Amino acid sequence: MTDDAPILDPRQSYAAITRQIGDIPLKYPARLAWLVGLGLSAILLVVFVVSVTVLFANGVGVWGINIPVNWGLAISNYVWWLGIGHAGTLISALLLLMGQHWRNSLNRFAEAMTLFAVLCAGIYPILHLGRPWFVYWMFPYPATMSVWPQFRSPLEWDVWAVLTYLTVSILFWYVGLIPDLAAVRDRAGRRGWQIFFGVLALGWRGSARHWYRWRVAYRLTAAIAVPLVVSVHSEVSLLFAVGQIPGWHSTIFPPYFVLGAAFSGFAVVAMIAIVLRHAFGFDNLVTDRHLDALGKVLLACGLMTAYGYVFELVDAVYAGGAHELQTVQDRFFGAEAWSYWGAVVLNFIPLQALWFARVRRSAVALFLIALSVTVGMWFERYMIVVSSLYRDFLVSSWNGFTPSLWEWGVFIGTLGLFLVPYFLFVRLFPAISIAESKETIHEERHA
Amino acid sequence: MSATDRRLWRGLDERELEAWVAAEFPGALPLLAEPTRREVMRAMAASLALAGLAGCGEGAEEAIPYVEQPPEEVPGAARYFATAIIFEGYAQPVLAETHEGRPTKLEGNPEHAASGGATDAFTQAAILQLYDPDRSAAPLKGGRPAAWTEVERAALELATSLERNGGAGFRILTGDVTSPTLSRQLDALQRRWPQMRVHSFEPVGAGARRDGLREAFGRALELQLRLADAEAIVTFDDDLLGPGPAQVRRVRDWAAARRTGRGRVFAAECTPGLTGTAAAARLAVAPARIPMLVAALARRCGVVAPEVTPTAPESAWIEAAARALEAASGAGLVTIGTRHAPGLHALVHRLNDALGHSGRSARYTEALTYPAAPLTALAEEMAAGKVETLLVLGVNPAYTAAGAIRFPEHLRRVGTIIHAGLYADETAALAHWHLPLAHDLESWSDARAEDGTVTILQPVIRPFLSVRTAHEILALLGGEVGAAPRAIVEATWRERFGDAFETHWRRSLHDGFVAGTAAPAIAVRPVAAGPVAIPKSTGIEIVFAPDPTVWDGRFANLAWLQELPKPLSKLTWDNVVSLSPGTARALNVGAGDIVHLAAGGRVLEGPAWLLPGQPDGVATVYLGYGRRRAGRVGDAIGYDAFALQDPSSPFLIDGARLSRTAGNRRLATTQMHGSMEGFDFVRRVGARDAAVKGAKERHDASLYAGWPTGDPAWGMVIDLDLCVGCNACVIACQAENNVPPVGKSQVEMGREMHWLRIDRYYAGPEEAPETYFQPVPCMHCEKAPCELGCPVHATVHGPEGLNEMVYNRCIGTRTCSSYCPYKVRRFNWFDFTRDVAPSIEAQRNPDVTVRGRGVMEKCTYCIQRLNEARIAAHKENRPIRDGEVVTACQQACPSSAIVFGNLADAASAAAKAKASPRNYSLLGELDTRPRTTYLARVAPGEGKD
Repeated sequence: MTDDAPILDPRQSYAAITRQIGDIPLKYPARLAWLVGLGLSAILLVVFVVSVTVLFANGVGVWGINIPVNWGLAISNYVWWLGIGHAGTLISALLLLMGQHWRNSLNRFAEAMTLFAVLCAGIYPILHLGRPWFVYWMFPYPATMSVWPQFRSPLEWDVWAVLTYLTVSILFWYVGLIPDLAAVRDRAGRRGWQIFFGVLALGWRGSARHWYRWRVAYRLTAAIAVPLVVSVHSEVSLLFAVGQIPGWHSTIFPPYFVLGAAFSGFAVVAMIAIVLRHAFGFDNLVTDRHLDALGKVLLACGLMTAYGYVFELVDAVYAGGAHELQTVQDRFFGAEAWSYWGAVVLNFIPLQALWFARVRRSAVALFLIALSVTVGMWFERYMIVVSSLYRDFLVSSWNGFTPSLWEWGVFIGTLGLFLVPYFLFVRLFPAISIAESKETIHEERHA
Repeated sequence: MSATDRRLWRGLDERELEAWVAAEFPGALPLLAEPTRREVMRAMAASLALAGLAGCGEGAEEAIPYVEQPPEEVPGAARYFATAIIFEGYAQPVLAETHEGRPTKLEGNPEHAASGGATDAFTQAAILQLYDPDRSAAPLKGGRPAAWTEVERAALELATSLERNGGAGFRILTGDVTSPTLSRQLDALQRRWPQMRVHSFEPVGAGARRDGLREAFGRALELQLRLADAEAIVTFDDDLLGPGPAQVRRVRDWAAARRTGRGRVFAAECTPGLTGTAAAARLAVAPARIPMLVAALARRCGVVAPEVTPTAPESAWIEAAARALEAASGAGLVTIGTRHAPGLHALVHRLNDALGHSGRSARYTEALTYPAAPLTALAEEMAAGKVETLLVLGVNPAYTAAGAIRFPEHLRRVGTIIHAGLYADETAALAHWHLPLAHDLESWSDARAEDGTVTILQPVIRPFLSVRTAHEILALLGGEVGAAPRAIVEATWRERFGDAFETHWRRSLHDGFVAGTAAPAIAVRPVAAGPVAIPKSTGIEIVFAPDPTVWDGRFANLAWLQELPKPLSKLTWDNVVSLSPGTARALNVGAGDIVHLAAGGRVLEGPAWLLPGQPDGVATVYLGYGRRRAGRVGDAIGYDAFALQDPSSPFLIDGARLSRTAGNRRLATTQMHGSMEGFDFVRRVGARDAAVKGAKERHDASLYAGWPTGDPAWGMVIDLDLCVGCNACVIACQAENNVPPVGKSQVEMGREMHWLRIDRYYAGPEEAPETYFQPVPCMHCEKAPCELGCPVHATVHGPEGLNEMVYNRCIGTRTCSSYCPYKVRRFNWFDFTRDVAPSIEAQRNPDVTVRGRGVMEKCTYCIQRLNEARIAAHKENRPIRDGEVVTACQQACPSSAIVFGNLADAASAAAKAKASPRNYSLLGELDTRPRTTYLARVAPGEGKD
């Protein structure tokens, strides 16, 4: 932050911050809007439950996938959701370790986003199985036949990566929450709330020793989480890069995927930040400077992702493999070209407006650009999965792919799977870190 | 319960039902009225009580369980019986594999000259027909189930009346009959009732070929084509290598010639067929130009023929063909297809005679089929009301008779129609009696193969339906009630074998043929030439072709054949109107657009298909679809091309009109793209011993050590120069490996399950493309990308180099298929194998796992056969011998294009084939090191160099 203006107004009182955030669970302000939002999300969740029931009852044949497009929306959505999850960890852990205090206003809800996005992502590899009831065979449990998982498979790496990531994300989120839970507990008037937050706060008393231990734990978890940001999505990219399929078999994939993940994740964080700021009047906590910072990060990630796009092409042309060139041609002009150009246009064209500070500081503009990136990155995931598979090596196997209604149903349903817990989260927990916000104000006062 | 006195009726059927009930069960008439509660209860009680009676069928034969296991019956070990499947009257000799008395698979009879161990796709699918749940199960009288005792009574009454009038007004209609027993029975009936007539009708059949022989030689003869020694083969619109009763023999012979650089084919073809695909020079011509071409070649070879003016490409083709025939000096052959006039056939016979082909490649024998009058004569008599009783034996004229004959209409004028068939089909629906026929695999019978050799058909399973053989039905008519089917056939052979009957009978049953019954060649010379008419085309020409997978519709209810991609169009579950891309463009018609064909006042509508290599101005329609009573699988698919046929020229109509309609039909094809898009999947070399460019892969570039080559190391070689794309391997694989058909909608989605597919590629201009077939089973890569992807060890590498699927372990991530560069893996998107009829389940190979939902599957190199051989070898403490393991595809292949064996054994056929300079790996540049490799196609026109 080169800007000299303070991140948060240092004139705010600590008590006001605690009251502003801590009272949300106890005296929920926008009850009707929340109920409507939750209701709509619950409808989406019902769509999810119905689609999954149909899927489990009949088999993955209810989707539009075929040979050669073995993987359709399931895997592209898996990558998309997992990518979105990345920004939460990046903001929370990486920026924490790098001493970027502006992240203190964003980390809490970004982490929650990570959790629920990983949940949505993690359910896909189970749903897409031909025999989902045997998913536990991917775990190294002591089977009577002494059969182990196949450790050379990127899918097996997936299991480990995603589970580790989920565990660390939960830990990090929860550890960060403890002081705030205690703050809410102390403000709670009703017995129920007192017990609920009291139990969750794990007996936090705010002693110096507590703060010291907490800080060590929090930073340690952050230190564990940071490499995961890189490793998880690198690993996800290997799911493709290990296969010899043209359009997948490229060494650029790990960094390309990690950057793309951060790109999509920051876009969603920006959207959530803008919505929460508007809903709860958090203008004092999520300031235009935050939006400005998010805009800059988004732009940087976007440009690096664009580099990945360019280099993928350079790679194919430089290597000159006939099949790779064929895939490039298919992406440019083939039946699935809409997904390629959709990704290019939605990801990178509106993004260029972020070069201007006025746009970055405009909530509406930033929201729209972030939305465009979120959709654009969905197109990209789809493009990578489908436009490579539908025309692979042997011309005789070339075919098309049309997602079925149930395939869309599951996807739309996962939006519910994401939003319902998210609505519960903003209802039940402090959506912005009270302690860390106060820390920022403290530092601003003494700067 | 009804309060009103007025009986309300709902439809006319109800009145009919009432009338029928009144006639049959007068006592039950009150039940038809609105029943009272008491009546309902009474009826329910009666139904319950009578339900048990359904178990009281006929034919309770003695069956005693084994007390001691017979030495020849080992549970788990298959037993083979020699018999035959009859196709258009001709025997397709087979060995039926049975497991505990249940036939599961048919293989060609290796000792029979007509098979040599190979089969065609139809014969492979015959096993499915045996178990078809839609087969007719009991006699029908007026469409209602009847008992055989009723049939017997009616037959005796019929016989008595025929006895009185000497058979006047009695007609029998059969397909082509080569069966000595059936011939004997027909002769006997003929003698007994001199006024009766036998007519025969094959919807496709030999057609004009027989008339042409009669015209050329003045007598009924049979022409056998012997391609094994032919240097040059010139075909005029004749798909020699295509499907038909003699396909196996011809492809095998041609492959033998091809192996030694002979068998160069010059094909003048209309609708692209397998022969044109294999040809060194294919000329795409409209059928109307064929007479001109024949005349031109005849004149060029010094045979009297009208003077004609061919175009420049036609002249070039004729010149090349003529030169090749001259160079062959007698070891050549000229043939012409059945859709052309008998006069033209006669000219071709004279040409063959002049060039010295007669008795060599063109071999003449006495006619093999029972002499019978044609269908048209029968139709005329029926129209004139002269036919009192018609016995239809095993054919379905109500569907297959040309539309112009209006056969179903004439059937109404026949007093009594008795139909005997495998199915209660279109004819059965119009017949007064329908008698279910036994399947060939449950029959005692006999039939001749294309070379005349007789096979005595023995049942390999006791009939599980209430069926009779055609012999029993004729015997019944002759007054023999309850004649044992075996005794009827035995009677024929007792006469012939004489005293040594028992020895010869047993020998013949064991071998699958009666030794020495091949028809001897006879020396004949053509009689004086008749005039040859050279027609002029006047509009769109309609060519009728049998469907490559369901033929004339007789196989329409077999899902395997419906789902078998047609060799060239790769279409499934439909017939189309093939047009040349040029003609289609001129009409602004795309694939699937419904076109309207009109000729002779008859019309037809079907989806168009753009077929490269088809000449302009020609529409090819395919027979065998548009069935109305084929069964649950075959009904209401496609259009009925028979409706457009005219018996005067059944397979060719000139001057038709073709127009586009607004409709469109979705077609399910298994291959969307015909071009290789610049890739080199099918490699070509200039000569048989030329090396494939760049086929030596660089194996030194890997970071990893090579796969340790054990012994045995299984591998396969497929010779693309010999593959004619006949599809026999595809169905053989399906039958052997319990591969389920999935239906049109699933094929449309790209979910067909074939473990072995045949890719078809085009090269060159669309009017005259080169066509290549490439069978693609699993490559069994040594560096298999699929194995890397599976997270649960469900696909692993076996010690003998096989890429193995562990179905039990598969959780269905489909990563293996995503990673597979060849896309040979197939996935059970639904539970495809669960909801099938129990009788279909009986067909399944007990040695192969039946896969359920969510499991990946693929070619295993027939691992069950490998294991069987391994166990046998292990017991004898010896290595597995070369040739001991034969994969199902290899076994069925008539051209022996597929070689399988141990690559570690340098003397094995497979290792020798791999050593060929033509050997190359598909996508070898990926360094997957496939164990299945290909021998490059020898480029057309250079086969001899």
